[in-house]
Amino acid sequence: MHFTILQIILLTLLAFLKHVDYYGIPMLFVNYPVFWGLFTGFVMGDVKTGLLVGGTVQLMSLGVAGFGGSSVPDYGTTAIIATAFGASMGKSAGLAIGLPVGMLGVQLDVVVKILNGFVAKKAKSYADAREFKKMSAVTWLGPLLFGLSAAIPVFISVTLGQSAVNFILQNMPKWFMTGLTIAGEMLPAVGIAMLLNYMPTGKLVNYLLIGFFLTAFLKVPIIGAAIIGFAAAFAAYKQAEKEGQRVSTSSETAAGIGEDE
Amino acid sequence: MFKKQKDSQTYGPIVTKKDLHKANYRWLMSVETFNYETQQGASVAYALSPILRKIYKNDDDYVEALDNHFQYYNTQPWLAAIVLGACVAMEEKQGLAAKNAINDFKVGTMGPLAGIGDSLLMTMIPTIMGSIAAYMALEGNPFGIILWGILIAIIFFLRMHCFEFGYRQGSKVLVEYGDKINYLTEAASVLGITVVGSLIGSVISVTSPLKFQFGKVSMPIQPMLDKIMPELIPAILVWVAYKLLKSKKMSMTWVILLFIVIAMFGAAFGFLK
Repeated sequence: MHFTILQIILLTLLAFLKHVDYYGIPMLFVNYPVFWGLFTGFVMGDVKTGLLVGGTVQLMSLGVAGFGGSSVPDYGTTAIIATAFGASMGKSAGLAIGLPVGMLGVQLDVVVKILNGFVAKKAKSYADAREFKKMSAVTWLGPLLFGLSAAIPVFISVTLGQSAVNFILQNMPKWFMTGLTIAGEMLPAVGIAMLLNYMPTGKLVNYLLIGFFLTAFLKVPIIGAAIIGFAAAFAAYKQAEKEGQRVSTSSETAAGIGEDE
Repeated sequence: MFKKQKDSQTYGPIVTKKDLHKANYRWLMSVETFNYETQQGASVAYALSPILRKIYKNDDDYVEALDNHFQYYNTQPWLAAIVLGACVAMEEKQGLAAKNAINDFKVGTMGPLAGIGDSLLMTMIPTIMGSIAAYMALEGNPFGIILWGILIAIIFFLRMHCFEFGYRQGSKVLVEYGDKINYLTEAASVLGITVVGSLIGSVISVTSPLKFQFGKVSMPIQPMLDKIMPELIPAILVWVAYKLLKSKKMSMTWVILLFIVIAMFGAAFGFLK
């Protein structure tokens, strides 16, 4: 496994841009693995592996999103590393390297958010000292730190890690490799459970059963289930609107009675 | 949603459409300064600073206004732009006198905006579009990704008008659209849960290669499980993960690690495939 210098530069840059995009500038591909797998596929000249790895990691990461500042595994970095290595070594070997680095993303994310505490304080102290240009300039340390938190692990993985990666892969027991593949197939369950945890699942459990029935029993593609879901959502919107109007008119009449007294 | 009106009537004596447009771009800084003390506060100050400079010519007033916005702020950044646009309108009209009103407004809308934004924009869309795009990608077809990309571009276009929208609507913005947003959230939950149910039956592809051995006859276990219910193992896995997250209050990272360990055991002892 050998990367050219140009590939190393491009992969590191890609990881940097990925994280700057993830946290706001301009927040388009919010660390979605299917996009970053594809982009890495372009860099490696192997779009097919990019799609395959990106799709696999995307399914693993469904429902995983960092809300309210919580830190989650960096599946975007997993997609970049797994595609880069997977182009020549195959998908499962790529994932065996990419997945652990992605899990490390949780810790790195916490480190950046701690460091950002100093950035924010510095910006405010420049404001208080009336050095307004410096106030704006120092703010840019934030995106720089976030970018580095993805670029550095990718850079290390594709350069210094190369011989180490080969050594690990050659000496890795078979159950570990198979285990990672099975893990890849199991992990969507965690993301789905996370989604159910956020959503009003108890109230809408009937729709959960409908969705499950469509794919498990009838083998309908997801997009078909989404169409049924959209039809049900349309009905739910109309229903909510109707109930909302009834509530507001009944409260108006209640207010009217109140005035009479 | 975005009514066209004459600029001279809609924009105040100080803040122009161009200023608001610029603020949209500066607010891209949103989560980039995220920290555990003030969260997105420094980014709010960064985004608003050129407009505040125009409103407050005096350095003391400017610093006071900046310090106000450096305070704790955290919500879904795309929708936050509407609230910050409304804050600009209040600040332009009343200056520092509106400081407390602005704080109350910002703090009061943080929760509802995060609720709508995180569930609708950050969860529902990536789940639905992500599973469709991923499925097509696994077959080597990039069409799902392109479709999602188009949606992302449309949303970005709308996002770049949020400051103007908030500024024109003022602080009444959420009152006016509150009901509609509630109905929309409820409807989106119905769509979301249906899709999530369909994911349980399709994206988790774990089976068991175990066999029962009766003398010379061996019976694989998976066809029996399929007779009870197709996709039984995936349904059980989701149920276990849901219970761990909900009732045991286990963090997501721990559940992920636990599942990786189970997968390793499954591979080592051959009860999962």
